[in-house]
Amino acid sequence: MRIKHFFRLKNNPGKYNVTLLTGTIITGCVLLLLLIGVIHTPYDTEAMDTANKFAGFSLRHLMGTDNFGRDVFSRVIRGGQTTLKIAVGTVFIGLLGGTVIGAVTGYFGGLVDEILMRINDTIFAFPSVLLALVIVSLFGSGTIHVIWALGIAFIPSFARMVRSEFLRYRDSDFISVARMQGAKSVRIMFLHIFPNTLPVLLSAVMIGFNNAVLAEAGLSYLGIGVQPPEPSLGRMLSEAQSYLATAPLMSAGPGLMIILMVLGFSLLGDGISE
Amino acid sequence: MGVILDVSDLHIEFHDHEKPETVVHDFDLMLEEGEIVGLVGESGSGKSMSAMAIAGLLSRHEISKEGKILYNGTNLLTCSREELRSYQGKDIAMIFQEPMTSLNPSKRIGWQVEESVRIHRSDIDAKTRKEMAVTQLSRAGLPDPEKVYMQYPHELSGGMRQRVMIAAAMILNPRILIADEPTTALDVMVQAQIIDLLREINREYHTSIIFISHDLSLVNQLCHRVLVMHHGRVVEAGRTREIFRNPQKEYTMKLIGSIPKVRLDDVPPDRQEMAGDILSVRGLTVSYQSGGGLFRKKQENLVLKGIDLTLHRGEILALVGESGCGKSTLAKAVTGMNSRYSGSIELSGDRPQMVFQDPYSALNPSHTIGWLLEEPLRIRGGMTDADRNARVLEMMDMVRLDRELIHRYPGQLSGGQRQRVCIAAALMLKPEILLADEPVSALDVTIQVEILALLKRLRAEMGLSILFISHDLRTVYQLCDTVAIMKGGVIIEKGPVNRIYREPEQAYTRQLLKAAGIAVPGAAV
Amino acid sequence: MKYIVKKLIMMAFTILVISFVVFLAFRFIPGDPALMILGGQSSPEKIEALRQEMGLNDPVMAQYLRWLGGLLRGDFGVSYRYSMPVLSLIGEKIPITLFLTLEAFLLMVVISIPLGIYTAKYSGGLIDRVLVVINQIIMAVPPFFSGILITWLFGMTFRWFRPGGYISYKVSFASFLGYLFYPALAIALPKAAMAVKLLRSSVLTEAKLDYVRTAYSRGNATNDVLYRHVLKNAIIPVVTFLGMTLADMVAGSLIVEQVFGIPGLSKTLLTSISNRDYPVVEAIIVLIAVIVVTSNVAVDLIYRALDPRIRAEE
Repeated sequence: MRIKHFFRLKNNPGKYNVTLLTGTIITGCVLLLLLIGVIHTPYDTEAMDTANKFAGFSLRHLMGTDNFGRDVFSRVIRGGQTTLKIAVGTVFIGLLGGTVIGAVTGYFGGLVDEILMRINDTIFAFPSVLLALVIVSLFGSGTIHVIWALGIAFIPSFARMVRSEFLRYRDSDFISVARMQGAKSVRIMFLHIFPNTLPVLLSAVMIGFNNAVLAEAGLSYLGIGVQPPEPSLGRMLSEAQSYLATAPLMSAGPGLMIILMVLGFSLLGDGISE
Repeated sequence: MGVILDVSDLHIEFHDHEKPETVVHDFDLMLEEGEIVGLVGESGSGKSMSAMAIAGLLSRHEISKEGKILYNGTNLLTCSREELRSYQGKDIAMIFQEPMTSLNPSKRIGWQVEESVRIHRSDIDAKTRKEMAVTQLSRAGLPDPEKVYMQYPHELSGGMRQRVMIAAAMILNPRILIADEPTTALDVMVQAQIIDLLREINREYHTSIIFISHDLSLVNQLCHRVLVMHHGRVVEAGRTREIFRNPQKEYTMKLIGSIPKVRLDDVPPDRQEMAGDILSVRGLTVSYQSGGGLFRKKQENLVLKGIDLTLHRGEILALVGESGCGKSTLAKAVTGMNSRYSGSIELSGDRPQMVFQDPYSALNPSHTIGWLLEEPLRIRGGMTDADRNARVLEMMDMVRLDRELIHRYPGQLSGGQRQRVCIAAALMLKPEILLADEPVSALDVTIQVEILALLKRLRAEMGLSILFISHDLRTVYQLCDTVAIMKGGVIIEKGPVNRIYREPEQAYTRQLLKAAGIAVPGAAV
Repeated sequence: MKYIVKKLIMMAFTILVISFVVFLAFRFIPGDPALMILGGQSSPEKIEALRQEMGLNDPVMAQYLRWLGGLLRGDFGVSYRYSMPVLSLIGEKIPITLFLTLEAFLLMVVISIPLGIYTAKYSGGLIDRVLVVINQIIMAVPPFFSGILITWLFGMTFRWFRPGGYISYKVSFASFLGYLFYPALAIALPKAAMAVKLLRSSVLTEAKLDYVRTAYSRGNATNDVLYRHVLKNAIIPVVTFLGMTLADMVAGSLIVEQVFGIPGLSKTLLTSISNRDYPVVEAIIVLIAVIVVTSNVAVDLIYRALDPRIRAEE
């Protein structure tokens, strides 16, 4: 009963929430593919087959082969896993940091709020890829550094949103009621306000995933993200670009994967707020 | 006098949902020239929908309309968009409930008032247009119309904005003015002024007015004829005086019965004997600081100026005043939500609990009713789960809430049910004092009666003392023992309800009574 | 007027803070610049002498003030790697990235505003529904992939431009802008898709408000309600978005320059990062920060001009 309602529009239960449904299907398929990929990929991602370079799409190689004759489909799955790993880590850091900062500043206000938000806004205005670039240039590249770099870059956007939600509820009547009943600040923040921020937070998490995938791909494309031998969608595209004239299809696989991941997450995010 | 608008068999259906939903059935209205007709009903009765259809504002394709709206020989439901537009704003004008949002926030007042002229009378030049607008603004009772002309909506108060709306509607001297709950969002005094303005317009320009309201006493004051609507149907229609004197239908009787009666000539109702103080406020002064920044000095604004107030055990004390008079600030100080005050507040017993005006914002939407009612007990601690649950059920019975609702979320409850939950939650800790901040003014009239009865019963059964904040002198008369009139952060008059209503000492109190339509015996008005 | 002055002071302050943070960050990373310049084989005495000469032994605050003073005079320091002034290293590249960003921004505005209005006006219609789907997909394309697709489609298949055939603005400004069109498009498309979506939903939200009903009640035609009433209010959130995007587009430019082989700041930034040539990295970051902060202030001012309610709060 509840699941059925989940896919209906909030303000019009008669109609299906097409956005949410499509998002769930796309994300579900992608996740399933990546999950299966943990156990099994059609080919070894590093196995080269020099006799079969730049192969087009076929049943044997769904997304063709690359300049070393490696199976692009298998590598896309591995790359997708890396991307997802980074996205999850990034969003986790951003969410955790952002929620704590946003909740405290939004609920208590005052001078701390003023200062933190000023800093926050400045960082927020800074493109996250650039910020990550700075951090990576300071601490070096590699998966863990990319996660930290992007995670820190994402904190402000989460903080900003959680803060505005807390601000919205802080002075609402039902919080006044809780306060009059004698509830302490921590209880009010977590039991009374936090559950109300969940829908917005969930949709922000989806947007976060979406931005993380794009940012990671961008960094790896520039060669300062995930380092070889770990396959990465961004780097695969950068390699494919060199052979664009001769083997244009080589870039289709990784490109498609990025688009599907981002599309799925963004539809989920939109769908939740509908 | 002739008929200028003839609505027959109007039928409105919504198609947004799976099943089409009929919101108006067989609506008929013959509007005579120079007549004021009232459309009365509770929320969802279809009164606003009918009016919107007449004004040609239901154009979304999810809505189907049948029947006839004849104006000037044209059926407004079937004529072309172009023809409909040629009447809108010129012959038929409309004003709305929410003056705060009905004006475009980013355009100047003058531009908006002139709009109808710009659309319908391209022969009038800009200079004349401005003169017309300024004249209308001043006719609508706005002081300094030249200044208002250049201002933006957010710079005006609610009452001023409604005057602007009226000026804009009247600029081409339309034959029909549709007023959809034009005073609901306003303070009582302003309300009375707007009603006077509408009456004046009707008298002076012979404009026919369709006045939509849920407030029967307003309709009674203003309208010649009245249509009572319920669930999309007109249940009764006729001359206002006759309907009020001799209603035929049960629903009409119920509606009229729900107007709090104030019969000062009768023997005063029994008021309880008071014993002992339970709350005493002495010299309460609250100020808040505004402005202030890096370079500016903070300003001190006095909101309460030395309030003295005593609530006796078992008493219902009314605090009456217009918005901004400091009622809510007083409530905040008494409940301990604001501790930055000077003066003293002495309570015997626990901290008082409070019931808010809007039952929609006073319940946390993400928890069940059971959880919400249990929360105060959990916070206090020292009870087992079973004990708590028993207390919740007991309290739900007390406020007459169906036990089934315990697992529901606030979003699934009606306004009246929600307000019962709010009252139950406030009483969970068995406080001796309850603060009720306009607890019924957001509810439909028939629900208001029920909630007031509940409060009375709780007082009798639990020996509760209630501080009842209200702007509605009629409700106060029905419920309260004592009344304190507030203005500008000061209590200007207080005493037993009977005395204040019969022999008000202050001119302001007299004005308030008059605005509420209560005739003070022996007062020369 | 007072507001603008206040904004400008805030802006200067923000840039100051950013420059300080950037400076500190690059002082705290491991590695001795003197060692980096001279290489591992140098004697400790030589390194110490160079440290002294570069002022690396001074207090951090003194070093920062000296660096800041230099920035204000247009002296961005000396590259560790090339031993030449940073400014001469990046000076010629600034206009390239700047023009690419601006062209992309203009393209985005030109594409998104009419489309946003169109889709909102005919929302629910066939074209709208198709555009919404296309929009959603385009939004998911990262700028470098759209760059690759554009290179392949317009450069290799249609041969409308020659990939890698960048023409310097010194040779011909028109051809320079012409070549930048395709990379600018690659940057602009995904952002334009977002702007279309935002404007569409903003117009639709705005159209449900009470004042729109008032406008109709006065006999306005649908177009007049849209253009005279709704649009000005609906565009306010879009302006905020566009402002934030300008900063994002600088980042997009840096990536897309790589795709199209444009010798802008991107290449210099990337090589400097891998060479640990910090003065260059610092200079570019501070430069971008200035662009970001300035565009934010510009947005604030436009916002203020559009919305009288904001003006009142000040």
